[in-house]
Amino acid sequence: MAFEQELLALLPRLRRFARGLTHHPADADDLCQAAIERALKSRDQWQEGTRLDSWMYRITRNIWIDNRRATARRGVHSDIDDGVMQIADDSHRRMEASLELNDVDKAMARLPDEQREAVVLVLVEGYAYKEAAAILDVPVGTLTSRLVRGREALIRELGEAA
Amino acid sequence: MTFDRATIAAFVDGELDLLTAKRLEKALEIDAALAKAVEDERALRSKLASHFAPVIDEALPDRLTALLTASIAENVDDSLGRRRMERKAAMRRPALVQWGAMAASLALGLMIGGYALNRDGGYVSDNKGQMVASGALSDALDTQLAATQSGDSKIRIGTSFASISGDYCRTFESATLDGIACNADGAWQLRQTVSGEKAAQYRQASAGALAEAAAAMMAGDPLDAAQEKAVQDRGWKR
Repeated sequence: MAFEQELLALLPRLRRFARGLTHHPADADDLCQAAIERALKSRDQWQEGTRLDSWMYRITRNIWIDNRRATARRGVHSDIDDGVMQIADDSHRRMEASLELNDVDKAMARLPDEQREAVVLVLVEGYAYKEAAAILDVPVGTLTSRLVRGREALIRELGEAA
Repeated sequence: MTFDRATIAAFVDGELDLLTAKRLEKALEIDAALAKAVEDERALRSKLASHFAPVIDEALPDRLTALLTASIAENVDDSLGRRRMERKAAMRRPALVQWGAMAASLALGLMIGGYALNRDGGYVSDNKGQMVASGALSDALDTQLAATQSGDSKIRIGTSFASISGDYCRTFESATLDGIACNADGAWQLRQTVSGEKAAQYRQASAGALAEAAAAMMAGDPLDAAQEKAVQDRGWKR
């Protein structure tokens, strides 16, 4: 019982995280849906007393990255978790999306996946380097170098402060 | 003293060790380029944060909260394997108990035994306490093939399959009644039904529930068109 309620409380943040990764609201909610379903199925793997948010972020990120890789490999949509989730990547959806996206979304969308996830976790979600690295299952040094490259690209695209 | 991008970023992120942070702060006062770089990083951080912040206050989509509230309500293990086992266990319960539970939960609107059974256009009758298909439903189950049935048939046959209890069963849909019927003792016994009213209202849910129930009853795969025809030719007997 507590498990679902904690997930419910986490949902606004999880949606924001997914929005940062997929930059399309419907895709982001598809991703959240797939993540929640997987979390409910594998709730036994979560150890009470450990941070549910990190666990959920990791599930969400893994579904997203798996799907991105599958999409890149096949060059087409791929279904994840019984077809619940499709991250649209065909040209029509891209075109439609690009009309709705603002500069920040567009700049984020152009980042390589591994830079985008690092940027979202640290700059949007506010995780410490160590926590973000743990979610992504990479060493802290790897995280920070991706973060630096991602930030440089964003500052270049979005203009400088002054 | 120069600082690389990673150090500047770490400074802005509050990840720098205290000593280096102090040194950088000091350098800011005299190094305009460094000050500019720090300002750019801060501006980016706040731009991203404010861009995504509104998501937090958005109303949560029902489809997401429903997953969780349903899980709370059921308070059951969500694994598919467990649900299958529960269905199989349910199938082994005495038929009467099943009928009671189904009549209660699905509001069949039928009375067991007697003439009231004719409500569904004569699709159902009572055979020694066992509900069996009659009239047009019985005919459709006997003769209609899924592959060749006409689009405007009042009764639609779905899947035909051999059941684990050793008889042939078929799923059907109609305006008043959906269900699974199995051929035994020369009649089509109704094993699962959903009243048409409910079925129409919750068409997808009821079709899904019947498909799941059929899957739990099934021994092997559903019959293909040729097998369906061959079994029909044998009078649906094993």
